[in-house]
Amino acid sequence: MTGLATATLRRRWAAFAGMFVALALGVGLVTGTLLLITSANAQVPPRLSGSPVLVQSPAAADNDLGFTEYVPWSAARTTELVGALARVPGVVAAIPDRTFYAQAVVGGRPVGDPHPLDPQGHGWASAALRPYPLIEGRAPAADGEVVLGRDAGAPVGATVQVLTGAGPAPYTVTGLIDGPGVYLPDATAARLAPGVRLIGLLVDGPADEVAMAAAAVAGDGRVLTGEARRDAEAEAYARLRWIGAQILIAVGTLAVFVSVFIVASTFAFTATQRRRELALLRAVGATPGQVRRLLGAEALGVGLVASAVGVALGALAAPWAGDALVRAGLEPVGFTVVADVAALVAAYLGGVVVALVAVWAVARRAARVRPVAALREATVERRPMTWSRWLVGGALTVGGLALVVGSAFAEPENLMNTSLYAAMALILGLAALAPVVVGPLVRVLTWPFTLGRGATGTLVRGSAALAVRRTAGTAAPVLLTVGFATLILGFAATMTAAYGVGEKERTGAGVMVRPDTVPGLSDAAARAAGGPAPLPSVVYDASRGAVDVTGIDAVWRGDLLTATSGSLARLGTDPRGVAVVGWLDWAVGSTHELTLADGARETVTVLAVVEAAPTPVIMSRATVRAHDPSALAPVAYVLDGTAATTQARLGGGLGARAVDLTADSGGSDAEEDRLVQIFVWILVAVATGYTGLSIATTLLMAVVGRARDLALLRLAGASATRVRGLVAAESALVVAVGTVLGLAVALSSLAGLRAGLSASIGAPVDLIVPWASVAAVVGCCLALAIGAGTLSAHLALRTPAVRSSE
Amino acid sequence: MRSYPAGRLAGRVLTNAYAVRLRAVRKVYGTGERAVVALDGLTADFANGTFTAVMGPSGSGKSTLLHCAAGLERPDGGQVLIDGTDLGPLSERRLTVLRRERVGFVFQAANLIASLTAEQNVALPLRLSRRRPAPADITAALSEVGLAGRAGHLPAELSGGERQRVALARALVTRPAVVFADEPTGALDSAASRQVLALLRGLVDRHGHTVVMVTHDPLAAGHADRVLFLADGALVDELAGPLSAEGVAGRMARLEVAR
Repeated sequence: MTGLATATLRRRWAAFAGMFVALALGVGLVTGTLLLITSANAQVPPRLSGSPVLVQSPAAADNDLGFTEYVPWSAARTTELVGALARVPGVVAAIPDRTFYAQAVVGGRPVGDPHPLDPQGHGWASAALRPYPLIEGRAPAADGEVVLGRDAGAPVGATVQVLTGAGPAPYTVTGLIDGPGVYLPDATAARLAPGVRLIGLLVDGPADEVAMAAAAVAGDGRVLTGEARRDAEAEAYARLRWIGAQILIAVGTLAVFVSVFIVASTFAFTATQRRRELALLRAVGATPGQVRRLLGAEALGVGLVASAVGVALGALAAPWAGDALVRAGLEPVGFTVVADVAALVAAYLGGVVVALVAVWAVARRAARVRPVAALREATVERRPMTWSRWLVGGALTVGGLALVVGSAFAEPENLMNTSLYAAMALILGLAALAPVVVGPLVRVLTWPFTLGRGATGTLVRGSAALAVRRTAGTAAPVLLTVGFATLILGFAATMTAAYGVGEKERTGAGVMVRPDTVPGLSDAAARAAGGPAPLPSVVYDASRGAVDVTGIDAVWRGDLLTATSGSLARLGTDPRGVAVVGWLDWAVGSTHELTLADGARETVTVLAVVEAAPTPVIMSRATVRAHDPSALAPVAYVLDGTAATTQARLGGGLGARAVDLTADSGGSDAEEDRLVQIFVWILVAVATGYTGLSIATTLLMAVVGRARDLALLRLAGASATRVRGLVAAESALVVAVGTVLGLAVALSSLAGLRAGLSASIGAPVDLIVPWASVAAVVGCCLALAIGAGTLSAHLALRTPAVRSSE
Repeated sequence: MRSYPAGRLAGRVLTNAYAVRLRAVRKVYGTGERAVVALDGLTADFANGTFTAVMGPSGSGKSTLLHCAAGLERPDGGQVLIDGTDLGPLSERRLTVLRRERVGFVFQAANLIASLTAEQNVALPLRLSRRRPAPADITAALSEVGLAGRAGHLPAELSGGERQRVALARALVTRPAVVFADEPTGALDSAASRQVLALLRGLVDRHGHTVVMVTHDPLAAGHADRVLFLADGALVDELAGPLSAEGVAGRMARLEVAR
């Protein structure tokens, strides 16, 4: 059969164009995402690349998060270590790398874009560890002097406000460097970052030998040299990469789902178009098994070539996508794509397997064609549904609906997945049941046409309703695109709105203050806001490892703290009293020695065990601030007043934005918002662009396959314009069918989500669908479909009726 | 022209006098009130080395007779034997293999796989049997139908008559017990029709093949040894001996009037 398959592929390549394009794109996307994921490895931080030997503080005990965190050395221990390391032979200087939050305010607005996990402030001594030279001015020497990056836009000699955890303070710019960062005098830095996690060594002589000698005096520190220095990459970068990887995995999963779906539907479509030819093969003696193998060999042929093209496309596009990810802030600067052979091979084989899997069910059905079908002149489809289609479609639809209902009662953390699975099941289910659903739907949608006298309406209605499988096949990609786009867009909008409602319900506050151009709120911003502003930090326990902690002034309703044992009365005011969640297994009254953010050790007493809390440990805000000068509050609540009056108090220099807590204000974290937006648009772009192409190719094949019908219409007296109009109207009808089904799927999944959100928040949540964006997606589908339809009609009409009969 | 091995042909003639036998064959389409009886207990025999035409008005069941006789459709009742083999108990796969090896087909149109050349179309049944087609056999089959020079052409590059002749060559390449032709000249002009009918006649006369042809054209039926007339799924008349187109047309007209 291989010979026949090869001949078919070579001479009838147009029939496989849709499958080819879908598969090549899918493999391309998967290749790209795989390369990006495998390339996302830790690297030596550029800021430390001037130091051949680094000494890193000890790692905390493992926790559940999977990121390694390092316990800082206290100020005293740092001094001791720096002294010891400086005396090692070959060491020119031992420099503690002090990193803290600092941001210059230029032109009334905080500038630079410090990531919440990667603050830009450093002590001037750290400047010796990096390759950026001072390009103008001099080093900061006294309190109140600062060196900025050239891009900050403040000239030498200018006075700027510098924001730190405490708030803004005036500084004089003494110099500029050719790179990012805010450099303060070492004495100031030592106050802002008392705890140190890295000591950089400048050496004279072979780095390896110095490293050996340094290890002898480093105590609990780890000595890193050469490539091993990449372990010093900030944990923030690891988190960033993790977020990037999540997005890439989502895109890759979507690509696989969409390509199996599209490849299967285009191949099914091709097989339906070739029904007669397959019947002829059966009549002249091909067994069903031979027909199956023929289709399998064809799919394999397409898979082998399309996957190769896809891998090439993906490999070419990956560096470009990598740059885009860096610009979008999803990968750290310096991220480069490396061509990993295993990833390329995996993507290639994956593509071939997808082609074979997609063809399997189709081939089984196609091989059952009765040989007599070859003798029938017209290819009227008699039995669009098979029992397996009923079974699969029915099961998936019922399962999807069950999940919709289930999401109304789902736990908040399962809500998102439940409604996504519901949508996937409904999309696949409806696609399988499409032949049943499409007929009545076409009749309803085209009912207005029957009122007119024109032939077009009747023809469109007739052919779409008759060729149910064809209509269903071409409507499927539209269903997928509109369904997914509506779901994702509506999902993001509804979640954002629900967040606002949830916050209001939880806190009773009228206004929320959020960081806008800063990574978090300083104490000055929190004071100006005038309400509770819980302060997050981290503490280290010998057995539990890094444990998140929140500092509060006093218990208030927004913290949702309920004691299961002990008392919350002194929480916030007792500097050594903590409330803990149950799973820490810390009993009321027990004491624990914790290392705080500055490396100092404190013994705390458990005042209460609480049911649930924003972080496992809650303690006094004053204690957190005392030990973590760079801690920033993610939010402050204003119990009375409006956003306008609050904003007036805040001004612009603190980088804070006040929003009213109402349903449409959203007001979630700006950084989170940005990531969600990027995520949403990547998914929408992938789904729309990808399936758009398949809409175009499927329609193209459909019309080319109907060249004879169209030629007959011409012979029957229809003008070429009329025929093009007819094809355009048919294409529009297909988009309408897909849109109706897609909206049905998306809206029912969203309804489940809305019910679930309302239940978990305890207040009604509005279902928000960004109709303008949905309309844009439908418009794209429509333009693609009509464009592809009329183009192919144009091509088909160039072939004379006589020639097109074979 | 290549001659077929006499021993093989002779062996078949000795064991089975009839290439195809139908015994009380019944075929019903649809169920309940919409059921249509296409064949109503039809019995007919097709002897080796004969050329039989099957005629009848539209809906008389002549196509169904051909489909059932050729094993393309399974009857609802009765028995079909090809070359002495009862088709009833055969599995779909065994039936397909029997069709491939014992039966040749020529349909009205769209007989050929569009992506294969004339040569490849002819070789198709052999390839499906996993036999490596000997180039000489393929050339012989194409020469038989006068198309030796067009072996490398695609169906789109051939005329309607040439396509039918390629289909005929393909039907012969497996040396079948019987060749079924369903309106083989229905889509051809009269010159091409004559050529195809002459070829069918030659198969019977020179090589002892058995041909069963469904047609509504008295001119075509005039080339046969025998004409069976069908109406409402039953055999209503039979004409044998030297046939003329006029005689067939007259009998046909009488049948139409009788209805």
